[in-house]
Amino acid sequence: MSGDENVLVCDNVVRRFGGVVALKGVSVAVKRGEIFGLVGPNGSGKTTLVNSVTGFYPPQEGRITLNGTQINGLKPYKIAGMGVARTFQNVALFHGMSVLDNILMGRHIYMKPNPLASFFYPWWARKEEIAHREKVEEVIDLLQLAPARDEHVDVIPLGLQKRVELARALCAEPSLLVLDEPMAGMNQEEKEYMVRFILDAQEALGLTVLIIEHHMDVVTALCDRVLVLNNGQEIAQGPARETIANPQVVEAYIGKPRNAA
Amino acid sequence: MFYRLSGVYQTNYAADRKLWKIPADRWQVIAVLVLALMAPLYVSPLYLGSYVLPWVIWSAAALSLTLLMGMAGQLHFGFAAVMAIGAYSSIHLVRAGIPFEIALILSGVVSAVIGTLFGGAALRVKGLYLVMATLAMQYLVDWVVVNVPWISGGAHATLRTPAVNFLVMPIDSLAARYWLALGWAVLITLFFLNVKRTSFGRALVAIRDKDFAAAVIGVDPFRTKLAAFFTSSFLGGVTGAILAFCYYRAVTPEQFGFNVSIQLVAMVLVGGLGSVIGSYLGAGFVLLAPIFLTNAISSLAAAGWVPVSQNFLSHLPLIIYGAMIIGFLLFEPLGLAKIYDNIRKYFLVWPFRHAKS
Repeated sequence: MSGDENVLVCDNVVRRFGGVVALKGVSVAVKRGEIFGLVGPNGSGKTTLVNSVTGFYPPQEGRITLNGTQINGLKPYKIAGMGVARTFQNVALFHGMSVLDNILMGRHIYMKPNPLASFFYPWWARKEEIAHREKVEEVIDLLQLAPARDEHVDVIPLGLQKRVELARALCAEPSLLVLDEPMAGMNQEEKEYMVRFILDAQEALGLTVLIIEHHMDVVTALCDRVLVLNNGQEIAQGPARETIANPQVVEAYIGKPRNAA
Repeated sequence: MFYRLSGVYQTNYAADRKLWKIPADRWQVIAVLVLALMAPLYVSPLYLGSYVLPWVIWSAAALSLTLLMGMAGQLHFGFAAVMAIGAYSSIHLVRAGIPFEIALILSGVVSAVIGTLFGGAALRVKGLYLVMATLAMQYLVDWVVVNVPWISGGAHATLRTPAVNFLVMPIDSLAARYWLALGWAVLITLFFLNVKRTSFGRALVAIRDKDFAAAVIGVDPFRTKLAAFFTSSFLGGVTGAILAFCYYRAVTPEQFGFNVSIQLVAMVLVGGLGSVIGSYLGAGFVLLAPIFLTNAISSLAAAGWVPVSQNFLSHLPLIIYGAMIIGFLLFEPLGLAKIYDNIRKYFLVWPFRHAKS
């Protein structure tokens, strides 16, 4: 790991939707190789921050850099090409494709889609397809998806779908992996599996991860550092366990005791 | 049992991406291909020229359209206009002395460029609005073809296709025209199957299914949609040229009117969006069902089995045809291709019940 080098830096990011200011000047730096948690109550701006990073809602003010290059203002597909991969809160797989093809889509930024190459498949596209297939199979092995490889994605259970989405993101070999609530709607066992897979992947591939999560047990188990947002503002930042225990954070989540003795 | 899956293993990735992995499927394809090639030998010229030949050509047209509508999910209600551009440009190019083979490709390019121009403008909108924008293309192209004598020779003019050779084969006899059309259909089919197993096809499907997720993976939505319009219009243009040279042999503007576009959309929908076999089945159904229904009902009427007025009798086949389309789509919204697939899967595991995709 190359020291304290920052992968993602958000500097004073502001995003407004009409009169609503969803992000009121958020600054954060994610270091290479760490798992960084983004927590906060509903509507606090976590997903908006992530969408600013991935280019869906470019910030009106502030600066976002990835590995030192400014990325705010770029189109989402350009940002993806620069090494940001993400998963979605509501699974966003392609329903017309098999698990394998969905994961192959993760390799898209390295492939050169071209109708002529398709036409001359045996002489042109086949080599590329097979080379990327080998890469994809490594990730399938890592996330233990082999039994589901040929299934259609809409017939497999949600826990598996989320894992396929993670696999698709991993195949892009991202320098920053953004996970938007990877445990939403899962039971305890599936959650534990998912945590294990994220840790395995991070160890195997040396990932930098930005993760939004509501389950505090997961956050403390996974994250090196966290940023707590409330109403679009930072209320705390630091090592996971201490920050979660911060009275202000507790207050933001469950309110202040009425007569604090 | 009918398909004999035992002993069929793929041991490397290249084999796993073969088009027909099961030997029985391979034999089926070969058998159909041989039957199709020998059709001029055993099908009477009347049936070959008026049923089989148009079926093959319209299947190629449906395949071209379903690349755009089925795979990329971009509705196009002006595809007959694309084919018209191909037909007219091929005739004018051949008349200008360009060899037929090159004229075919160039007419595809002309269609692709014009189709992409309209597509690019239309792609600022989605869904029903895209339908309206492509309808505008249909009417604009219709108007230009009719009103520019340099293209059509005038509103009521008929443009005869010149006599040509394809490579060494003179395209004069019915069999030669049929073989050329069949060759083109086979070529499009192979292309389509290859698109489905490569990154280009996956990008198209990704754009159709979830365009925001496609963008976040690095697919440029606009460029991919344009590529879909370009490829589909190119294939449509060449198919239009083939239609002109192999089937119509004399081209008039109303052969590529709005109703033809709707018929093409019907072929794609009834056959099953984005399916190869569906395009053949859909084109066959839309072309041949009305003919067979008319024949069946008139022979029933001649035998005195349909005691209705002569006036009603002429509409009866159309009523049944419409009811059949609705019936098929209610029974299986994914089209004839899905019905075929269900039957195939049933025999794939027979006598057991559950098939893995």
